[in-house]
Amino acid sequence: MSPKLLKWLRVAVALVVFAALTAMFVDFRDLVPWKISHALAEIQFVPSLVALITGASLSLACVIIIFVTLAAGRVYCSAICPLGILQDVIHRLIQWPKFKPSPYSRPHTWLRQIFLWLTVAAAMAGFGGFALSWLDPYSNFGRIASDIVRPLVTLANNAAVGPADRLGWHGLFRVVPHWASIGVLAWPVLVLWLVVVLTVWRGRLYCNTVCPVGTLLGWLSQRAAFRLQIDQAACRKCAACLRACKAHCIDLHSGSIDFSRCVACYDCMDVCDEHGINYRFAWTRKKTISDSVPAVTPDAAIDPQRRAFLSQAISGIVGTAGVSRVLLAGEQPPAGSVGETKNLSPVISPPGAAGVEQFLDRCTACHLCISECPTGVLQPAFLEYGLLGLMKPRMDYRAAFCNFDCRRCGEVCPDGAIDLLDLAAKHLVKIGETHFDRDKCVVVTNGTDCAACSEHCPTKAVSTIPYGNNLRLPLVKDELCIGCGACEYACPVKPEKAIKVTGLHRHGWAKKLVEPKATLPKSNGDFPF
Amino acid sequence: MKTRRDFLKAGLALGASLPVFANLEKLFAADVPAVGASATTPGSKSILVAVRDGGRAAMLDKAMSALGGMEAFVKKGQTVLVKPNIAWDSPPELGANSHPETVKRVVEMCLAAGAKSVSLFDNSCDQWQRTYARTGMEQVARDTGATLVNGKDETLYRAVEIPNGKKLQKAKVHSLVLDSDVFINVPVLKHHGGTLVTACMKNLMGIVWDRGFYHRTDLHQCIADLLTFKKPTLNILDAYAPMVRNGPRGVSADDLVVMRTLLVSTDIVAIDAAGAKLLDRQPSDIRHIAIAAEMKLGTMDLEQVDIRRFKLA
Repeated sequence: MSPKLLKWLRVAVALVVFAALTAMFVDFRDLVPWKISHALAEIQFVPSLVALITGASLSLACVIIIFVTLAAGRVYCSAICPLGILQDVIHRLIQWPKFKPSPYSRPHTWLRQIFLWLTVAAAMAGFGGFALSWLDPYSNFGRIASDIVRPLVTLANNAAVGPADRLGWHGLFRVVPHWASIGVLAWPVLVLWLVVVLTVWRGRLYCNTVCPVGTLLGWLSQRAAFRLQIDQAACRKCAACLRACKAHCIDLHSGSIDFSRCVACYDCMDVCDEHGINYRFAWTRKKTISDSVPAVTPDAAIDPQRRAFLSQAISGIVGTAGVSRVLLAGEQPPAGSVGETKNLSPVISPPGAAGVEQFLDRCTACHLCISECPTGVLQPAFLEYGLLGLMKPRMDYRAAFCNFDCRRCGEVCPDGAIDLLDLAAKHLVKIGETHFDRDKCVVVTNGTDCAACSEHCPTKAVSTIPYGNNLRLPLVKDELCIGCGACEYACPVKPEKAIKVTGLHRHGWAKKLVEPKATLPKSNGDFPF
Repeated sequence: MKTRRDFLKAGLALGASLPVFANLEKLFAADVPAVGASATTPGSKSILVAVRDGGRAAMLDKAMSALGGMEAFVKKGQTVLVKPNIAWDSPPELGANSHPETVKRVVEMCLAAGAKSVSLFDNSCDQWQRTYARTGMEQVARDTGATLVNGKDETLYRAVEIPNGKKLQKAKVHSLVLDSDVFINVPVLKHHGGTLVTACMKNLMGIVWDRGFYHRTDLHQCIADLLTFKKPTLNILDAYAPMVRNGPRGVSADDLVVMRTLLVSTDIVAIDAAGAKLLDRQPSDIRHIAIAAEMKLGTMDLEQVDIRRFKLA
């Protein structure tokens, strides 16, 4: 394949993936089919790895990415990873006002290692879900798109509704923009700022310093079967490739490419008039490579000990996750053997999450479910789950309630953190229980009818019974309650609601209301008036 | 075209100076004296048409022809608002919302009568796009050319004064209600956990932005109070298969009893009283019906109503 074609193929794939990923996160009108959203999220490295390791689903994208990287380098980083592509977009934008590119820069090997080790260590200690929620590039991109871009686009849409109406086009309508709380929003803003600054300063520095996926794939890429190499015979040292390289990984002094940092964007191949940079098979010709690679390259900095440590660590990630799963499973007592109060949680995890621990373990906080949730009941947590659950989705019954027949979060979740339940199961999965405080209820305090809670309840866990002077007082039957929050949302009592849902640490099952077919005693085929 | 600000100004001015319903009542008093005359006008009886044992469309056709056709209510070139119950993300067969077949027939009749436009909306309880799609209203709009309007956009609601309300003295009402020439109320008859019966009067909670105020303050009184500000031109109550328990959302199709009945009246109190009877309730036991009757907003005593009964089978 000619270098030009290869580069443009990369650009085309990257643009399609980036546009689609941005669209699905910004999709405030639910125009992108969920299957496309799910598919695009599922081919991302970390979500796929999490789903595979936790056994949530047979998600093979991460395996394919590992094989592709071992074959031809970090293709993922330039063609599929949205945070990587975002940096390329920023890079392209700053190229226009003729930003002077910096030449080869040294790798920050130790910093890269620290971020990777931290992630690995966290995973070993059972905090993998926490570390990955902070460091997964896809999830970071997701939060930028979902928390920053989406509300802004929604506001722009709302501003356009009036003018569009006046021009006779009624296809637009206003949508309430959902802003994350400031304690949540601060992080994607910070990451976006960091990414922009690092990109402007040194191209793909973020990917080659902070990103653990970049480091892991870089480590594999260094050992790839096919690597980009400079043809010393053809090279005139014009340095065009150097200027084009976003990773700053081409060292013309030694005539080498640090393939652990190369993100396989093929810009260097494209600009080289001599066709001096090409993929070369590098597995059988070890001698030739070491000839062309001088002693001071980062390759040499990796000693056998560290190499061993790294491979242990990687098997460690896989291993610990399995072990922690076993431990967690071991902790789970048989249903019903624990006092009810022990299972109560102040924060409510979404239906399909199975419970708070498993959810925090698996969720990388990409906010796709938050973007896709049609009601807006899923909101990013600040400290409701504790520090470990920062930014992870929770059910916010002040914002909305869970739509009874909706399973969208489970449909789109790429991590397996929210399992896709079938509808019958969704109708019965119990994520919380309802507590009714009759002393706060308007029927008692005001002596007037209300029943907003019972009205909204989809399972009739909240019904009404006669009370006082021809009034109806809510009655909660916990065995029917799934904790969807409709009652709490609808309750008009201020400031504190009279009916509230408390989460369950481990989700359970509600009973289904079964009644015989309804009849009316006086329905005799004639008018009753 | 008016800007939203103009609408808002106009709405406030209208609300402050002359109640909109007065205009409408005058309009219909002039056009169709026999039918449209206000129930409170001395010396004239409200008319209630009750049809049984037909298909939804057939019963509606029969009822409307008994009232002089839709032409008696919709004049050529008028804008029409049809307000069904589109509260819940629930399919038509579960009876939680007005049935799309009935709504579709109403829209078709309005258009046939020469309506310039027909709009549909509700301030839904469930997520509105899902609800509009699931209830079949989106299909109705597609099939008929009616405009389906967002009921969850607060900027489309305008603040109005309700000087004759006892508890509800101001509210934000959807601009379609304020601006349309004709307002047709098309609810479904259901059991309700709080009000026992929900029919035409209760359905009008969906034209107001803040339902919480009703619930917080005095549900039944607020329902009646709104009628002092605005009464629908016509009420069409779908009682084909009313939900008789677990209302207003329902749990399963077992909550419905097939009754194959349709009621039509300009008297919203009379039609709700008849609806209550269909559900085996005394109208006087349904507080908002009793309050509305007491406030002389219509006739609760069905003895005083000119009921025209039809059986199609």
